[in-house]
Amino acid sequence: MAKMHTPAMEKIERKNAKRKKPRQITPSYEAWKRFRRNPTALVGLIIVAVLILIAIFAPLIAPYNYQSQDYAAMMQKPSAAHLFGTDQFGRDIFSRCIYGARYSLLIAVFCTLAALFSGGLLGIIAGYFGGKVDTIIMRIMDIFQAIPMIMMAMCIVAVLGNGIPQLVAAIMFASMPTMARNNRAAILRVRGNDYIESSEAIGCSKFQLIMKHMIPNAAGIMVIFFVGFLAVSIMMMSSMSYIGVGLAAPTPEWGLILNDGKSYLTSAPYMMFFPALMIMITCFAFNLMGDGLRDAFDPKMN
Amino acid sequence: MGERILDIKDLVIHYETDEEVVEAVNKINLSLEKGEILGLVGETGAGKTTTALGIMRLLPPKVGHVIQGNIFFEGKDLMECSEKDMRSIRGKKISMIFQDPMTALNPVKTVGDQIAEVVELHDNCSKAEALKRAQEMLAMVGIVPERYKEYPHQFSGGMKQRIVIAIALACEPDLLIADEPTTALDVTIQAQILDMMRKLQKEKGTSMILITHDLGVVAEMCDHCAVMYAGEIVEYGTTEQVFDNPKHPYTKALYQSIPSLDKEVERLHVIPGMVCDPSNLPSGCSFCERCTEKRAACAEHDPWIVNVEAGHYAKCFQYTPEWEADKDE
Amino acid sequence: MSENLLEVKNLKKYFSTPHGMLHAVDNVTFNIEKGKTIGIVGESGCGKSTLGKTLMRLHEPTSGEVLYNGVDIASMPLKKFKKEYRSHIQMIFQDPYASLDPRMDVLQLIEEPIKVNDKKLSKKEVEDKAKEMMELVGLAKRLETAYPHELDGGRRQRIGIARALSLNPSFIVCDEPVSALDVSIQAQILNLLMDLQEQRGLTYMFITHDMSVVKHISDDIAVMYLGQMIEKCPADEIFRDTIHPYSQALLSAIPIPDVHAKHERMVLKGELTSPINPKPCCRFAKRCPYATDRCRQEEPKLREMRPNHLVACHYAEKFVK
Repeated sequence: MAKMHTPAMEKIERKNAKRKKPRQITPSYEAWKRFRRNPTALVGLIIVAVLILIAIFAPLIAPYNYQSQDYAAMMQKPSAAHLFGTDQFGRDIFSRCIYGARYSLLIAVFCTLAALFSGGLLGIIAGYFGGKVDTIIMRIMDIFQAIPMIMMAMCIVAVLGNGIPQLVAAIMFASMPTMARNNRAAILRVRGNDYIESSEAIGCSKFQLIMKHMIPNAAGIMVIFFVGFLAVSIMMMSSMSYIGVGLAAPTPEWGLILNDGKSYLTSAPYMMFFPALMIMITCFAFNLMGDGLRDAFDPKMN
Repeated sequence: MGERILDIKDLVIHYETDEEVVEAVNKINLSLEKGEILGLVGETGAGKTTTALGIMRLLPPKVGHVIQGNIFFEGKDLMECSEKDMRSIRGKKISMIFQDPMTALNPVKTVGDQIAEVVELHDNCSKAEALKRAQEMLAMVGIVPERYKEYPHQFSGGMKQRIVIAIALACEPDLLIADEPTTALDVTIQAQILDMMRKLQKEKGTSMILITHDLGVVAEMCDHCAVMYAGEIVEYGTTEQVFDNPKHPYTKALYQSIPSLDKEVERLHVIPGMVCDPSNLPSGCSFCERCTEKRAACAEHDPWIVNVEAGHYAKCFQYTPEWEADKDE
Repeated sequence: MSENLLEVKNLKKYFSTPHGMLHAVDNVTFNIEKGKTIGIVGESGCGKSTLGKTLMRLHEPTSGEVLYNGVDIASMPLKKFKKEYRSHIQMIFQDPYASLDPRMDVLQLIEEPIKVNDKKLSKKEVEDKAKEMMELVGLAKRLETAYPHELDGGRRQRIGIARALSLNPSFIVCDEPVSALDVSIQAQILNLLMDLQEQRGLTYMFITHDMSVVKHISDDIAVMYLGQMIEKCPADEIFRDTIHPYSQALLSAIPIPDVHAKHERMVLKGELTSPINPKPCCRFAKRCPYATDRCRQEEPKLREMRPNHLVACHYAEKFVK
């Protein structure tokens, strides 16, 4: 066949010539390639990266200490000196929002990890063993799930008290049923594959099947849950702080800043606007990233 | 000579992604007469389905491109039709049956409704008439017409495939493209479906393109047969010609590699090597690497299609006068 | 007559479904001689795969015996079976696209069974053994680090064969190993399987729906219909002298790649009998053109019509040529 030459082929040939060595095509690399091609997912990733940088370098970025009160500059509207304005104690809201990223992101990661491990473990056990074990675990989870998440979290905080560990525990327990359910579904999907049976046939033990085949293959889906759940955690944490059962003042947590501003909603709406905006952007970015990851790991799911 | 219903000229189809260009169909020429059944044979990746999708203009958007060529259907070039024209041709004039009957039906609609939908869309008739037609179609494919109110999951695999065929034939198309219509089915069911298709073809005079990798099916069903390899038609002729007197080395090798029911063979013949990478085709003959009859020229030049005998073509240098001359040297 | 490697006696596997007991494998009895191949043919849903998986103890048998070298492996505790007999009986799976973990490369895939079954081996020894297996099944060395999705069907199936063979089994259940492959690749894999059988004295149970493949590779052929074995005979006999009406219909349905072959086709009509709680009757009666009231009321038993040729049909005598 005489070779056809089209513009697209020439472009690719040029690109291939530039590339040094063909990269090992692992399944993860394929997923990354798909992720990279998805512009909205990249936007999500960039926003998340910026937020993480902000959290790390908060002391360098924030112009003021987040708790220093400046009585000469109370309730100031946003200006060059105070980008997001100041609150009733004269604290710089911009600085508080910047430090807030530290708390919000870090706690969200802890909550999600805790939920993923506890719920994930239950889900994997239920999904793999099936039968009675599955029924018992999942019915307990159903009971948990019948209580609204936020109510559940509030009850736990009411019993354990305020504070970061308590908050993490509360969110973990509240989100465990969903996590267990999702992970069970992920394991069931992987379990139906022939390669599990094939590995069973060559003599793998149950533990080896789970650790070597099921978890690595379900990992993609689990990452999607993880990222998606970060947004949920941030929302929950902020809501709890807002209604006063989350972290205690004066921690610069976004929900708390929101809470501070609520009495001044009519006179100084900016006090609520900026922290709310931060929460929104963060959740939005995580969701974009989560959707992108879903498309990347699981092109068939759409 | 009958009237030509389909004429494909120099069709080239590429799949273009960010990474590579897959040359799926390379300059194929094919024609089909009215009322004829043409078998399109070849292995996975030979470009059979791509050709069919190209005719239907249903190539995956953004990725699949018709680079050049014309497809004349009843004298009209399909490549120049607007999308709107195509929609009125698809289903009405040309129908396609896909390989997997399980995914081609809508699970939440009754089968009667699904057949009636096509009729309504193309024939401008009332719902009642369309449903009546749907029942006729079911009867024609051998399903009790009273079952038109049932849902796809209530039917077995073979019956689902018959329903798919009923949908494809509801508007009495002039051309039916069947892409591996029986591959997913058991042999006894396959026999039923093939019987039915042959009967329909006799009664309605439908022209068909039957895509398959099963040479047995081709032998039983087809008038003409085209063998595809790496996006090219390497051999074309009447089924008798191609089966009794295969000319292209690939076709010959293919016959030898199937275990036979009536002959005793110790070891199966194997075609050495693998199908060449369609994103990186050689400049010479694409079968050259696996060919047992090749010569130096084969790797350098791409052979052209040679008329071996009346109506029998093979894409191989062996049948050119130069080949004999070369041997003498 | 050489000795039997495997004797299956009245093996049953029922699955419980919401509608009742599904008789996937029902009272199947047969023997396989050492070094021979038995072909199991039948249409989808006839229980041929379940039979294979039950022998492997991937499904627990409902009842019956499976004697492997005289030891009943069907009733022993699963733990004991896994420890002592797992490596003797191996399986090659149907779909080479689905039966390999997509996250492992070729070497890892072949190393896995070796590692799992002999924990004492050093890393080097495992790797050497895996490389040896790759060579045996004809996988090029450069493919060691490739992932299954980069390979074609034939090579993937070679990985499957290497995985099964790496444990030095004596009996291999081949569950439709070539039905997902193209004709030219199919021939390569069939030849490989036959070569390996010769070199290593393997015994195969070859499950397929493709009659020409099964005839090529098998010594004996058993035809299954809805969980039961309805005919068993030497491979060359089934094509010349089929007795059971279902086997006849099955054979006549195969399209033959020869334009001049004109054969009478027996097109089956009627619905399949449900395998859930079947009544005692011939399960083929509903589709059988010769069925009588006796067929609908009484279950036929396997009878020896000729030496080594067993048929389960009340009127087998009528069909003997």
